[in-house]
Amino acid sequence: MMRKPHGCLEIEPDLVASATGDAEPGAARRVEHHIDSCDACRREFHRYREIEGVVVALRRAPAAVASEVRAREGLESRLADLRSRLVSYRVFPSPLGRILIARSEHGVSLVEYLHGGTDLKASRLSRVAGVELQEDGAEIETLYRELLEYLRGDRTRLEWPLDLRLARSDFHRAVLRATAAIPYGAVTSYAGIAAEIGKPAAARAVAQALRWNPLPIVVPCHRIIGTSGALTGYSGDKVGLKQQLLAVEGIQAKGKRTDSRVARDTLYHYDRNDQHEYCLPTCGDIARRPIGPVTLLASRELAGALGLVPCSACRPDLHPLAA
Amino acid sequence: MMGEQPFETIVGAHHAEIYRYLRRVTSRTAEAEDLSQETFLRAYRAYRTLGPDANVRAWLFAIATNLSRNHFRSEKRRRVAHEAVSVESREADPEGPEHEARFGEARTLLEATVQGLPLKQRLAFVMRKVHDLDYEAIGRSLDCSAESARAHVFQALRKIRVNLNGHELPPAGGVETSRLSMERPR
Repeated sequence: MMRKPHGCLEIEPDLVASATGDAEPGAARRVEHHIDSCDACRREFHRYREIEGVVVALRRAPAAVASEVRAREGLESRLADLRSRLVSYRVFPSPLGRILIARSEHGVSLVEYLHGGTDLKASRLSRVAGVELQEDGAEIETLYRELLEYLRGDRTRLEWPLDLRLARSDFHRAVLRATAAIPYGAVTSYAGIAAEIGKPAAARAVAQALRWNPLPIVVPCHRIIGTSGALTGYSGDKVGLKQQLLAVEGIQAKGKRTDSRVARDTLYHYDRNDQHEYCLPTCGDIARRPIGPVTLLASRELAGALGLVPCSACRPDLHPLAA
Repeated sequence: MMGEQPFETIVGAHHAEIYRYLRRVTSRTAEAEDLSQETFLRAYRAYRTLGPDANVRAWLFAIATNLSRNHFRSEKRRRVAHEAVSVESREADPEGPEHEARFGEARTLLEATVQGLPLKQRLAFVMRKVHDLDYEAIGRSLDCSAESARAHVFQALRKIRVNLNGHELPPAGGVETSRLSMERPR
């Protein structure tokens, strides 16, 4: 077989591109010029044009419809599965230490103080079976900013959609929902939550459920204390954190660590009554009644927002507590 | 920055094309099904980090291409795939080439040649000639320059030219003339 002349070899890529509709303008002009005077390359050019004709037919050919539909159906089902398992998370610094925030397609599923480390390995998330974890940026950043505002006292609500699937049982979920309903600046007890969910004898089980609260701060378990006013526990032995969170909401505690108690004399009291009246802590023996039946409130504004009216005997409207 | 459209829209708009692409570069429908699903699952995981101005189509082609390359990386696997070509390409596309008797033989031969191309050439050829992606996008998919992508397509066409040697082809006049214009806008 004869070797192609150098000029023909050199122009070959442009010739192929040109014949198959893929050449840049300058190249196309060079090819046109070349095949005017080169029979062999002109034949090549036409051969490639014929090939391009078959290639175009390839492009028009339908794929096998049945298998495409099957692939799509398979995808939809795998996507649904992935969506339900995908949890994105990020670890942030905060005034309360490093915090991990995680969310699924349903909502925020975990807020966790990372006591034992600084990354995912220290999180209970790394031990949850069946989830696919993904470190995420922007979406969780927004949650984090809102959380910081909350911790600074610049925001009183975290209106996040919640995903309670990391709670351990339906009982735990019921406890978390009842706890989520306790408003900013109010305090009740484990026994109070137990009564609220229709299990008045289950105060200890309520405390256990809140010990495993996957969403501290957002589900405000820091607003749940002992009937006597003792802060009891928080996130292991971090009663100090509980004290800090309550202080942001205007609820002061006295005493140190395990002994610390809510200062009832600085809070308004509401003992459920038909008149919806709230009282000063000095009204009768109200300050000695157990928390739970009695709800403690940081401010008169909160009492008003809850639809309560000042007690006609002790008149908290006339004698406000010192802020 | 999260993608602008819900992911369902992306699936709806691009699934058929990505599937066809994968069907063409793999040899079995089962492989194409699996790889197309993987493509979109991977895309779903990364979708929220995609910039608002991103070219979603080219991005999906890049993911699909990358997965195909990983899939074929094992030589052995590839050999097995080759052996399956002659049997499967016929039964997998019932509404395919046989309906166009005129193009039938040449097309079957072309398809077999494409299947036998080295992987990068095959991927570049199918992206360019079947799906009309530009060389920049093809280069990004294959981790090479646009020039290299163009060279892959050239090499693929040369091989096709050799393999179709001696076969009578339908005359060029019968096909879309716009594709044959000498000057193609880039």
